Amino acid sequence: MSAKQDSVDDLVKAGYEHGFVSQVASDTLPPGLNEDTIRFISGKKKEPQWMLDYRLKAYRHWLEMNEPDWAHLRYDPIDFQEISYFSAPKKAGDGPQSLDEVDPELLATYEKLGIPLEEQKALAGVAVDAVFDSVSVATTFRKQLADVGVIFCSISEAVHEYPELIKEYLGSVVPHTDNYFAALNAAVFSDGTFVYIPEGVRCPMELSTYFRINEAKTGQFERTLIVADKGSFVSYLEGCTAPMRDENQLHAAVVELVALEDAKIKYSTVQNWYPGDENGVGGIYNFVTKRGDCRGDRSHISWTQVETGSAITWKYPSCILRGDDSVGEFYSVAVTRGHQQADTGTKMYHMGRNTRSTIVSKGISAAHGQNAYRGLVRMGVKAENARNHTQCDSLLIGDQCGAHTFPYIEVRNPTAKVEHEATTSKISEDQLFYCRQRGLKEEDAVSMIVNGFCKEVFNELPMEFAVEARKLLNITLEGAVG
Amino acid sequence: MLSINNLHVEVEGKEILKGLNLEVGTGEVHAIMGPNGSGKSTLSYVLAGRDGYEVTQGEILFDGKNLLEMEPEERAWAGIFLALQYPVELPGVNNMNFLRESLNAVRKGRGEQELDAVAFMKLVREKAASVKLDEKLLKRSVNAGFSGGEKKRNEILQMAMLEPRLAILDETDSGLDIDALRIVAEGVNLLRSAERSIIMITHYQRLLDYIEPDFVHVLADGRIIRSGGKELALELEDKGYAWVLEENAA
Amino acid sequence: MKHSASNWITDILQQQDLPPVSDWLSELRRKARDQANQLPLPRRKQEAWRYSRVDALLKQSFTPVVQPPNGSGLEMPQSLSPHVLVFVDGWFNPALSRISDLPQGMVLGSLREHLDDASVKAHLGSLANSGENLFSALNSALINDGLLLKTGTGTEVESPIEVFYLNSQAEQPLLSQPRNLILVEENSKLTLVEHFLPGMGNAYFHNSSTEIHVGEKARFSHYRIQDEATDAWHLSNIHLVQAASSHYHGITLSFGGKWARTEYKTRFAGEQAVCDLRGLYLVGDQQLSDFHLDIHHDQPACHSREQFKGLLHGKGRAVFDGRILVERIAQLTDAQLTNDNLMLTRDAEVDTKPQLEIYADDVKCSHGTTVGQLDPQQLFYLRTRGIEEQQAIHMLCAGFAGEIIEHMHLPHLREQAGERLRRTLDRL
Repeated sequence: MSAKQDSVDDLVKAGYEHGFVSQVASDTLPPGLNEDTIRFISGKKKEPQWMLDYRLKAYRHWLEMNEPDWAHLRYDPIDFQEISYFSAPKKAGDGPQSLDEVDPELLATYEKLGIPLEEQKALAGVAVDAVFDSVSVATTFRKQLADVGVIFCSISEAVHEYPELIKEYLGSVVPHTDNYFAALNAAVFSDGTFVYIPEGVRCPMELSTYFRINEAKTGQFERTLIVADKGSFVSYLEGCTAPMRDENQLHAAVVELVALEDAKIKYSTVQNWYPGDENGVGGIYNFVTKRGDCRGDRSHISWTQVETGSAITWKYPSCILRGDDSVGEFYSVAVTRGHQQADTGTKMYHMGRNTRSTIVSKGISAAHGQNAYRGLVRMGVKAENARNHTQCDSLLIGDQCGAHTFPYIEVRNPTAKVEHEATTSKISEDQLFYCRQRGLKEEDAVSMIVNGFCKEVFNELPMEFAVEARKLLNITLEGAVG
Repeated sequence: MLSINNLHVEVEGKEILKGLNLEVGTGEVHAIMGPNGSGKSTLSYVLAGRDGYEVTQGEILFDGKNLLEMEPEERAWAGIFLALQYPVELPGVNNMNFLRESLNAVRKGRGEQELDAVAFMKLVREKAASVKLDEKLLKRSVNAGFSGGEKKRNEILQMAMLEPRLAILDETDSGLDIDALRIVAEGVNLLRSAERSIIMITHYQRLLDYIEPDFVHVLADGRIIRSGGKELALELEDKGYAWVLEENAA
Repeated sequence: MKHSASNWITDILQQQDLPPVSDWLSELRRKARDQANQLPLPRRKQEAWRYSRVDALLKQSFTPVVQPPNGSGLEMPQSLSPHVLVFVDGWFNPALSRISDLPQGMVLGSLREHLDDASVKAHLGSLANSGENLFSALNSALINDGLLLKTGTGTEVESPIEVFYLNSQAEQPLLSQPRNLILVEENSKLTLVEHFLPGMGNAYFHNSSTEIHVGEKARFSHYRIQDEATDAWHLSNIHLVQAASSHYHGITLSFGGKWARTEYKTRFAGEQAVCDLRGLYLVGDQQLSDFHLDIHHDQPACHSREQFKGLLHGKGRAVFDGRILVERIAQLTDAQLTNDNLMLTRDAEVDTKPQLEIYADDVKCSHGTTVGQLDPQQLFYLRTRGIEEQQAIHMLCAGFAGEIIEHMHLPHLREQAGERLRRTLDRL
């Protein structure tokens, strides 16, 4: 028993290795939100009138909305006037034209985070868009991508360079009226990533955005839009970190994916925002809306997420399975320790015939962590022969944490088939003893068992990130058993 | 090699072992037999260091060192291997990976070099073949969905890989049909050597038809009440435990 | 409050000519009336009413029955049991009932006749919190009569007790509100069968509230068979608390009514108790079946099993909302919840929401849900063995429902249920 207690204590104390602050001179808007704030952001980005109009429309709608309270989360109310809505490293004012123009301190920051931006040092086959506070500071491998017609740039650039694509797709999956945080994001989003894969193109490398919050009191509101044209394929990864600060910082992103006929988008997230300290002070409030639209027949969208960070996680990457024979997938590992709370899951809207979805959710709760899976599977009237299989497993480490499962299943078509299973377990004494009898240290045994628990999800990650995810999980659970 | 002196063990406040004595020399094979509830499995768990078994009196020396002060993994490094009656399932943990982690942990604990991937693969193939374990099982999760026989064979494979100095086989014969029993016994016999001692814990005589012990002990009510050569096992088979128990009482 | 106290509830509560009762009960009524006036009407924004359409119910006005009805036109139901109790519009009807000799210390009959009983005072309203639930509050505000069953300690009753809830013929839709109190005391063993039937009624609203206390080591089998009239609304609120090492075995079969909702709220007051809850719903055109379970594990080492199955045909709609809550203290809990739905027709609809909320680590909890149609392979297999399609469908449906029905230990109930199922399937 005493070993158990130590383990819980150690777990609570396990460090956050990305908690440093970079000394970068920045332009930061004072806290506060009104129409002028939005005009300022839009002006700073020299946006066309239509974009400003869209933001203002979203802002006015947001004012009419109420903050959602249905999630299994407890936190102090967010004061939206206390947040700064724009912060950019000074040199990056107009966006650097090449890496040579990027502040060396910034490059050093990303290097320290294990994301070298200089192409010769970069991970082979991974192109990176680095977003620092509110703006994109660098995008690598652009030329190689342009050669095959892939557009990979910051969304600010895309507004200028590809206005037709932006007008057609931005807000088409997550409208500005969708929910409270999506409306806020539509009003104040500062930057993000835009990807377009032309018809029939298999994107030759992994695309990746690395998000970093640095400034105090800022919120990060990025917007990602990925459009995969007919028969194309792209694998996209995002990673996130933030410094350790006593205050809670808000991250309210929106991600929209559009897959046309026969296209496939694989979207992977390793979320490691600062989770707060062992007493639950500080940490990122992560309120994110992610949705993919399988617009074309036989299209395929796959979400994989490894959520280890943030004080509060509120996100439900979803799939609208509109096209016949389209496929939606959601693979998730969510870890809560310290005083972290997660309410996460997915929504699968089956609209087309023969649509398929798979949900695999692995929740790990330790210390005082609260971990909830919330998911919706809806089989629409026309979802002839649609199929869903959902597996939700929870692992509890210690007796102060919680694991919850809230599935919603709505079936309007009798030929559809839905199967949902959920289990709750802990690492058994038998398993620990067995591993130790075979010579493994208790800590390694825990990590091995937890990794085994998460295996189905890690298998879905691209190789380099699977390794990262495993490492991150091990660090998170470091000292799990004393 | 192993010396158990006046061992008293309690489980949840109840005394299970009540003054057990046992000496096992290097290279010897001992069979411990006894009726259900006599404390056979308790003995194996105490040797391996499982939590929840409280030693209230007595000592266990392994190569002259106090075994009771060591953590389970330290005992494994020192060369103690327990083949479990009911091997534990580890969902999602790849069997091959587990073997490698385990072997390298034990090697490291012994101050030896870790094996590289190539050498490990070679070794594991060779050992798997020797215990007739289907290589497909190496790719699956540890013991998950294995049949009873496959689990036991997997235990013997681990034993062959880790090359312990003292192997404890806890009811290794339970739940095995005769063919599986023969294969498992062959595996154990291959591992018999002058440097390695074996303790077989079993309820029935039949395992001893395949693995011939040097010594046989009868464990009853927490004590070894009779010891002898392999002929004792035959006698037990003939007359049943009641015979020794009565004789002991008299 | 925007949505509270609409005309619906005030109209019903305005009945001033309630028969007088003891002071303590008047106080309980008064409090519940205040609460009913405060509580919001069910709306789909409320999680508990997310999938339930009650608009039609709330548009209908109902007349509470404030005097014992004469039961004209009703006959004593057929029953093999020596103890048969009939309630008409929520009131005990002695003429239609028969109660044979009871074991020493056991009380069985009308709640109204035992209002001075100390254990009635102590227990009535102790579980049904009318501050949370509008329909519970409505029931409490107009308490008149209902079933009182009190075993005394160590009482084993061999034959089952059968209770029938019937309804009078009426011009205006009536509101029938039995209020039941069941005390299965220490070491007692008992089977209670409740039948909810139309009698002479058609459009009525049955809104019952039942409080059950199961004492230490007591065993209570509770079978509920709901087969209300086609135009009836049915709502049962059941509150259950179980003492240490007790065993509650509850099965609800839901066949009738156009809107039938059963709410179970269970908790434990001691360790090692077993709660075994099962249900079967058969839903067709113009019907909505709605089950809500709130299984609260607030004691260590208790075991609960919830198994609910639904067969849907025509334009039938089913809602299942089950929650298992395991508190931090409730280590060694073993709780399993399953909900399986078979859709036999195009227009059927199912909404299901099995939930786990777990705050203890050393527990075994799981839930599983399926929604689908008959397995074509199974059908095919039966047909290759020479069985006609219609017959094969019957067999598979009977097998599916049988997994619930077989848990009733009274053969005549199993037969009745099987027969009821066959009648419906034959009509398809």
